[in-house]
Amino acid sequence: MKTLQPLKQPRPVAVETGESGEPVAVVLSGRRLAVAQVQDVWRIDDEWWREEVSRLYYRLVLEDDRPVTVYHDLASHHWFKQDYD
Amino acid sequence: MRIACVLIPHLPVAVERQRDPALRSRPVVIGETPDQRKAVLDCAPEAEAQGVRVGMPLRQALALCREALFLPPHPSLYRDVFESVLEALEGFSPEVEESALGRAYLNVAGLAPHYEGELDMGEQMIRSLRDATAMVASAGIAEGKFVAWAAAVTSALGQVCTVPAAKEAEFLHPLDVSLLPAAPDTLRRLELYGLHIMGDLAALPVGPLQAQFGAEGKRLWELALGTDKEPLHPRLREELLVERLRFPSPAISVEALVVACRRLLVRLHWRLHGRAARRMRLRALLWGGRSWEKPVTFHEAVVDWERMLFIAKSVLANTTLPAPVEELAIELSGITEERGRQATLFAEKAGLKRQLGETVRQLRARWGRPLVSRVVEVEPWSRLPERRHALIDYEP
Repeated sequence: MKTLQPLKQPRPVAVETGESGEPVAVVLSGRRLAVAQVQDVWRIDDEWWREEVSRLYYRLVLEDDRPVTVYHDLASHHWFKQDYD
Repeated sequence: MRIACVLIPHLPVAVERQRDPALRSRPVVIGETPDQRKAVLDCAPEAEAQGVRVGMPLRQALALCREALFLPPHPSLYRDVFESVLEALEGFSPEVEESALGRAYLNVAGLAPHYEGELDMGEQMIRSLRDATAMVASAGIAEGKFVAWAAAVTSALGQVCTVPAAKEAEFLHPLDVSLLPAAPDTLRRLELYGLHIMGDLAALPVGPLQAQFGAEGKRLWELALGTDKEPLHPRLREELLVERLRFPSPAISVEALVVACRRLLVRLHWRLHGRAARRMRLRALLWGGRSWEKPVTFHEAVVDWERMLFIAKSVLANTTLPAPVEELAIELSGITEERGRQATLFAEKAGLKRQLGETVRQLRARWGRPLVSRVVEVEPWSRLPERRHALIDYEP
């Protein structure tokens, strides 16, 4: 039986936020890394015809110069990390 | 989907006790003698009560249980008995999954009306196993594999436990979290957090568990609530060709074994009717009641019996059998219709594609599941990255 496995699945991630709700630190592999720069912010509201998706994406640069994209799921209020290009 | 889990705990010990009733109620440990650097393959509940566990070094098992009776393993014998168990279960449902030695899952959706309910169906399964193999099993019937397994493992031998639909969480609530299929470290951490029973875990929101344990946390939470999305993987009934030869006196030399292999392969060649085989298994019953087996997966499907003999010879030449051989058997499986190969003018490119196809088929034959995938576009226009591309099994 052929099965489809979606690529670039979001993974739960622990994110610390500031007063404005923007991420200030991300925990990766058990290590807390402060956000050095927020490069971009965009919102996606989609798929209203099935389970509605509402996400606020942040493209970040962490203190160790690592670029990472995270999003805040505005429905469940959980944070996820996802490759986005 | 209603699933039945049929469990024969400590199947190797049960088989050994069937062969020698004097072993009953003795702390049997299977896995050679304690002077060998090997692990415990299985142990009797009497040895388990003293701390012996499957997978621990035999030396440690001896230290924990001084009166333990160590027996050499007979893997092919255990496999034969379990094969009979699976065949008996296939009389109840065509979809039977061989999960581990002594554990099978059946798709029993819609079968209960043929019996006096699910309990009666489970009891009939246990009875038929006892008649066919003299093995005593326990059974659990529920929605999903995990709950069915939990129902079977918490039932006494010879008993059936059924969990009605939508009552999974209620059934699992008082059970220990150690029953969850999690890494030992995760189970230890759950205990440290004061989560001792599945009800403790199910009462939590999924977010904190996901934050602490990642994807595993979510799965354990779902399982604690009785949601198991893992599908049943029914075993494939494939053609298996077997030939056996009993030696007039136990054979010691490799030459004698090679002569026997030649005779067996010639017989198998006639039964193949020009078809090819992908796997070969050499099995031997050794003097003293022990057994030995060696599976071989061919790089390419093989038609020629002389080629198979060449491979068998090299296996035997590189193996030291622990005792003289009383009976030798060869099994051929993965039978295909491939007979010849069409040559092409553009040999290089076609050759590479064929090679890739053969390697993919060999990997699938070796591991029993597809291991190579390719990327396909699903919704390339989607703004959600996980909707755009997916992996699909590579079909050569």
